[in-house]
Amino acid sequence: MDKQQLLEKLAQAIVDTDPDLARAVAKEAIASGISPLEAVEQGLSKGMSTIGDLFGRGEVFLPELLLSANAFNAAMEVLKPELEARKQQTAQTATVVLGTVQGDLHSIGKNIVATLLETSGFRIVDLGVDRSPLDFVQEAAKAHADVIALSCLMTTTMPSQKAVIDVLKEMKVRDKYLVVVGGAPTSQKWADEIGADGYGQSAVDAVALVKRLVSRKK
Amino acid sequence: MLNFLDIYERTLQGPIMPEQDFDMKVLMPTLKQVTKQYGIQYDKDNPVPSSDADADNLFHAAVDFLSRCGIYCQNTNRVMQFSQAEILQAVKETSGCCRAGEGDDARVFRMRKPDDPKSPWLHVGSGIVCTTEEMFTNLVEAYGSIAQANSISISALDTLRGIPVMAGSPVEIYAAIRGIKIGREALRRAGRPGLPIMNLISTSASAVTTIAASAAQFGLRPSDGWLVGAISEMKIDFGAMNKIAYLLNWGANVGAETSPILGGYAGGPASTAVVSTAYILMGLLVHQGKYQLTFPIHFRYGCSSPRDVLWVVAASCQAASRNIPMPVIWLGYMAAGPCTPMYFYEAAAYLLAATTSGAPSVQTPHPAKAVKVDGITPMEARFGVALGTAAAQVKRQQANELVKQLLAKYEHQIETAPTGSRYQECFDAPTGKPNAEYVRLYEQVTNELAQMGIPLEEVI
Repeated sequence: MDKQQLLEKLAQAIVDTDPDLARAVAKEAIASGISPLEAVEQGLSKGMSTIGDLFGRGEVFLPELLLSANAFNAAMEVLKPELEARKQQTAQTATVVLGTVQGDLHSIGKNIVATLLETSGFRIVDLGVDRSPLDFVQEAAKAHADVIALSCLMTTTMPSQKAVIDVLKEMKVRDKYLVVVGGAPTSQKWADEIGADGYGQSAVDAVALVKRLVSRKK
Repeated sequence: MLNFLDIYERTLQGPIMPEQDFDMKVLMPTLKQVTKQYGIQYDKDNPVPSSDADADNLFHAAVDFLSRCGIYCQNTNRVMQFSQAEILQAVKETSGCCRAGEGDDARVFRMRKPDDPKSPWLHVGSGIVCTTEEMFTNLVEAYGSIAQANSISISALDTLRGIPVMAGSPVEIYAAIRGIKIGREALRRAGRPGLPIMNLISTSASAVTTIAASAAQFGLRPSDGWLVGAISEMKIDFGAMNKIAYLLNWGANVGAETSPILGGYAGGPASTAVVSTAYILMGLLVHQGKYQLTFPIHFRYGCSSPRDVLWVVAASCQAASRNIPMPVIWLGYMAAGPCTPMYFYEAAAYLLAATTSGAPSVQTPHPAKAVKVDGITPMEARFGVALGTAAAQVKRQQANELVKQLLAKYEHQIETAPTGSRYQECFDAPTGKPNAEYVRLYEQVTNELAQMGIPLEEVI
């Protein structure tokens, strides 16, 4: 099997949500001399990108997306030590601290954004749900975050998104981070109103938004 | 039947695992296996199915699924497990009715069957956020003035003295109490003081607010209805269980609130129908509910009017109404907002699908996905009552054809649906009357629906 075929097989293992195959093809790729960075970027990430597009179009659902991420992580168990041994790094290295804001227990949207960002190469610090403004600020500092991503699903918890930005301003660290918001009741208008850097209408949008904002900042 | 302390004990006894393992290793694979094993299949050409055998098969799949999957408790990280015998015992021993309201407005909320000509329990209004107390009062008074209304939902206030109402904060308690007082007063003005409010406590997310605002001096009665939410999918936490513990001790009507999400952890339409049916069993067994409010929605669109969600509603409603004695309020979230033709087409499709499938109750379909502040008026409530009543005269097969015609009018617009007008833009706040444009639109659309064959003439 030539290099191109192996990379395609690796991508297909992700689309087929098959962790055993993904792990085996990753080993085969390394054994045949493919660089681990190329295996990640031209194999695994392409597979995740395909499944992300299918998810965005409503042709597959969350279980398939999560199982693909699971296969991605299985292959990474093989590729990560190789990347480290060769001191190679994937292209995206920005850190995103994300969570659902205070008073809100909804997690699904936040989890999907975390999965898609992680498989796009971002380092993710997931704070979970119902987290206070200060938690976001402190965890972002601890993680040396580039981005703070705030999720909410209820109109009554929207003010908690604003509260995070207000606390960042009050502590004079607002400019250190890109802040993005999302969730059913939010909108671009709301993001502008509270001084966020961006708004993602869907999980797929959120990933594109973070990529765009991070590359613009660099 | 297990009592609530038995249920609590299950949160201490089941297998312990991280929440992510429950999602990945228990919920999703079990759901996939059960859906395949029972041959549950989505039929996109027939959004309102009409096979009783398929409905009963879906019920058995849901019982099997609940017994194999269990319910995850977020506080103890354990999976509460129930045998099929325990689930079926709860089904067997439940009365299937909920007594709600006081005095002349007291009613018994009962079951219906698919193709049942009996009108559903008409639940009117929504918890959509209002910016002014005047609008809140007008809405509730208007709901109470609809003679056929059996119960209502009241709105939530977004600010109090200019302070944003943040979930879990002290101001949430103030806002909840204020909302109840306004709601009761508006119902008195409408001459319906005993009408039950069944979305209590609408501004509340926390157990402490529910318990605090339920003190009798603020105007609530056990004959109202309190909603206690499950967490999607197949999860619960102690916040919800604390509310249930209090309400059961008080003898109040507990309403299990569930929202299966098509495209989320529940997967596609077939497996979401299994979850949707299993949630009615959960409401009976875990919440010990007297009634239930359920609203299947689409993960991508955030509404209940897409074709596949309508199928989930119809299929799981038939499975539940034929087999589970739980009075369920079926609620739909519409993509379009007030004062748009699309809202009425979506709402008609939803109400036809649910009512002909045996929904014991239908609620005013919520405009603009329920996220537009001030985005509801009494006109949508009036339409919900008229359509819910008319739909009881329609059978499933006819509803299927009507729903397909309605889908053809709006399906292509779901992603770009107009969010419509705010209350202040299509109603005169001081008098509480709709403007001429909205009256004209209402008449035009209801005439169009009547011409399609929906028997609206007798109820408008």
